[in-house]
Amino acid sequence: MNKSLKEKLEATFKDIRTASSEDSRMAVSAESDNVLALLRFLKDAGFNHLSLLSAVDWIEDDCFELCFILTSYMQNDDEVTGRQRLHIILKTRIPREKPQFKTVIGIFPNAEPYEREIHELFGIKFEGHPRLIPLLLEREYEIPPFRKDFDTRKYVQEAFEKIPFVDDKDK
Amino acid sequence: MDRNQITKWLKAPAKMANKYSLHAIYFCTGCGIIEVPPVITSRWDAERFGIIPVATPRQANLFLITGYVSVKTLRAIIRTYEQMLEPKYAIGFGSCPINGGMYWDSYNTIKHLDKYIPIDGWIAGCMPRPEAIFIAVTHLWTLIDKEMANGYIRYRENYKSYRRNQEMALGKLEWPPLFPVSDESQGNEQ
Repeated sequence: MNKSLKEKLEATFKDIRTASSEDSRMAVSAESDNVLALLRFLKDAGFNHLSLLSAVDWIEDDCFELCFILTSYMQNDDEVTGRQRLHIILKTRIPREKPQFKTVIGIFPNAEPYEREIHELFGIKFEGHPRLIPLLLEREYEIPPFRKDFDTRKYVQEAFEKIPFVDDKDK
Repeated sequence: MDRNQITKWLKAPAKMANKYSLHAIYFCTGCGIIEVPPVITSRWDAERFGIIPVATPRQANLFLITGYVSVKTLRAIIRTYEQMLEPKYAIGFGSCPINGGMYWDSYNTIKHLDKYIPIDGWIAGCMPRPEAIFIAVTHLWTLIDKEMANGYIRYRENYKSYRRNQEMALGKLEWPPLFPVSDESQGNEQ
């Protein structure tokens, strides 16, 4: 299954690279145009659960990397099949100047909170997302706080350290 | 009952009764709350010390803040603290409420909790052992005896400064001030 899936993927899609460090894990790197088709393909192949969608800020390469971690509850369940469950990590890079991607809610509906979180923490906009409103954060930030160029110490100085201690004398 | 304390009981019975029946609000903040279930249940049995957890702040007078305080949690903490009955005691548990702890440069965590609500005592450590809660409680008894556990009085007296700090951290607050802010004569009544 593992090997044939790899062959199938490489036969169907051009410009993808697969690598597996362990038997239970496979990393697939793809161009951002291919990702939606790849996700559909993998979902049809039995990977019907998006367990995580996260982002990485590669500031030296001037790009963001989106990671989709897919697995399956039913077909690849080790209790049913006796095989180890396979996790697929699908990676794609998008430029930092234009942080935009298409939403994957149509394929995996549970991507909705993940995309909101990434929009809030990395400032990546997901086209077609029905409600990109804040999820966790209370404050507004000039630079989204999970980007590498966000200076946390300067921010802490300005936002929290400036607040004075309450002294008994100033009533 | 300890015979040595009879004079204390005769002098200030209400204070002594209050001291030995602390009602802790079951408010979960951060990771420190993991220490509280064994403390209140049979393993360490906080009822030996007269502490019992209650469900709502309106029945509580002891507030354990058990871990890092995010900006969003601070809002809930202030609202909870303001609803509690006087005399009320707040204890910061763990290093994070003291000065941020390992979240000292985090973008969304309050660094010094005593800028926003008055704290009567701190339990240092990451994590403190459950026994540390009991040590803190016995220290709190001493403070109550000496009338040094006066956080709620300080809150009333310096409410203007506390409210200003809360607004600096949270923006505009959607609840009205607990005590009159503009009135110059505040603090004299107590």
